[in-house]
Amino acid sequence: MLVAAVVAAMTSFVWRRNKSLGTGVVTAATLLAAAAAFAQDDLVRRGEYLTAAGGCISCHTMDVAGAVPLAGGRKLETPFGTFISPNITPDKATGIGDWSEEDFLRALWEGESPDGEVYFPAFPYTAYTGASREDLLAIKAYLFSLSPVSQSNLEHDLSWYVSTRLAASAWQMLNFEPGRFEPDAAQSDEWNRGAYLVRHLGHCGECHTPRSSTGVLQADREMAGSVLGEEKIPNITPHPDAGIGRWSKSDIEYFLDAGMLPDGDFAGSSMGDVIDDNTSRLSREDRLAIAAYLMSLPAMADD
Amino acid sequence: MPRKSIGAILVVAISTTLSIYAFAETTAEDAAQYRTNVMTSLRGHTGAASMIVRGQVEDGGHLVAHARGLASGASELARLFPAGSNVGESEALPAIWEKPAEFAAAIDKLTNATSVFLAAAESGDKEAIAAAFRDVGGSCRGCHDQFRVAQE
Ligand code: HEC
Ligand code: HEC
Ligand code: HEC
Repeated sequence: MLVAAVVAAMTSFVWRRNKSLGTGVVTAATLLAAAAAFAQDDLVRRGEYLTAAGGCISCHTMDVAGAVPLAGGRKLETPFGTFISPNITPDKATGIGDWSEEDFLRALWEGESPDGEVYFPAFPYTAYTGASREDLLAIKAYLFSLSPVSQSNLEHDLSWYVSTRLAASAWQMLNFEPGRFEPDAAQSDEWNRGAYLVRHLGHCGECHTPRSSTGVLQADREMAGSVLGEEKIPNITPHPDAGIGRWSKSDIEYFLDAGMLPDGDFAGSSMGDVIDDNTSRLSREDRLAIAAYLMSLPAMADD
Repeated sequence: MPRKSIGAILVVAISTTLSIYAFAETTAEDAAQYRTNVMTSLRGHTGAASMIVRGQVEDGGHLVAHARGLASGASELARLFPAGSNVGESEALPAIWEKPAEFAAAIDKLTNATSVFLAAAESGDKEAIAAAFRDVGGSCRGCHDQFRVAQE
């Protein structure tokens, strides 16, 4: 973003001087335009990486072979009913093609639509609120580089007591505090990167941290395991028996890369989507950072 | 007919009878246990191979052996699931018998992935090995996701 802005500023500077300086500078301007295109490419590539790190694809893509990524329509079963994810391709009529950068930030940071409607926390804006402006705008640039897909959003199918946006507003008012991630200066860069990925972009706690009866994550039992529908989500704190305390850092990194448990087995589960769409697409350094963060959590026995 | 060939025919006849006999003796419990044992051997090979692939253990020519073990295990998968063998502690889901085409596709996927992995291991090309091994794991994971009881 910054790079693009700087290049844009420089381009306009050269353009002004262009009149007096003649053709040599036209070439320079062309070069700079090319540089701006490169910067845009770079931004889009970064955005693609961060979209993977944000796990957006798993939720915003239908669960059928050949579904177009990010066009929505995925059914997400929760104790409150079935949510159906919206289309986030840049289609103007059925997707988010009309959205400004501020609209996008507001959705991911505040959990509010451009019309001021409050989103349900099935969209984990509660985690993305910690993501940086730069990263979210890179994600937007990537989404907007995709072909628009015309696919209308479907209504969620929710229990009566949560079925209105009013319920979402009330929930948000009671349970949500927006705010960016603050690096902990006492910790290493690796730890801070891991914390950012696990708590915010990767929203690992959405599955691995237990919830209260109103669906709020229990901060004092971060990553201590949970139950979602019929699926039991394991404890991934460093507890030697209840959690993954016996796993080496390399075991964790490799699990996030290839899905292999340290004993050579491969569990199939919703973690499979996380591995395919998110963690296997990250750099080894980022996976190691995630491992470092998980290994630093307080070891927690099962309840 | 010379004596020798009569003898040979008898041997074949007897051993055929014996093998049919032995097969008839395979109980559902035996089939489930045999399956568990073969799956456990696959896990042994993937666990060991992964440590060589990740460079934690010297290859010393043994990656190829693990790749062969995986390929031969894969070639046996189709016969591991006789109908009615999801007994006792079995984690086999009914979908195995309800969706035979999908299940066969999951077996094919592992068969292909293990033969690509074997070729890569024989070539010694590190990058090809890592990619092929990831596909082997993806095939184990894909089938377990659809056809094995979810793990904790
Ligand atoms: C756990 C599932 C899940 C994940 C992961 C997820 N989303 Fe969503 N998202 C949803 C659901 C469900 C909604 C609809 C919420 C509602 O209607 O209140 C939604 C809504 C949205 C909207 C609003 C669309 C509109 O038309 O109003 C945007 C934008 C969005 N998500 C972007 C993203 C991005 C970008 C990511 C990755 C960084 C992401 N989502 C990850 C489930 C998810
Ligand atoms: C959609 C829900 C979901 C999300 C999101 C999720 N996980 Fe998981 N995770 C699971 C399930 C289910 C399992 C158990 C099955 C398995 O081991 O594959 C699991 C297993 C694991 C394990 C292995 C634990 C064990 O004992 O077998 C680790 C490590 C892990 N997850 C880390 C993460 C990290 C890191 C993130 C965030 C990047 C994450 N998970 C996000 C559902 C999820
Ligand atoms: C075509 C489907 C399929 C493929 C491919 C597959 N498995 Fe399995 N696996 C199963 C099923 C089904 C079970 C449950 C069997 C039972 O409990 O009766 C299972 C069980 C297991 C078990 C548990 C054994 C026990 O202790 O009960 C392990 C370990 C295992 N598989 C490893 C692997 C590995 C490693 C691979 C890949 C190299 C693999 N499997 C490929 C279907 C498959």
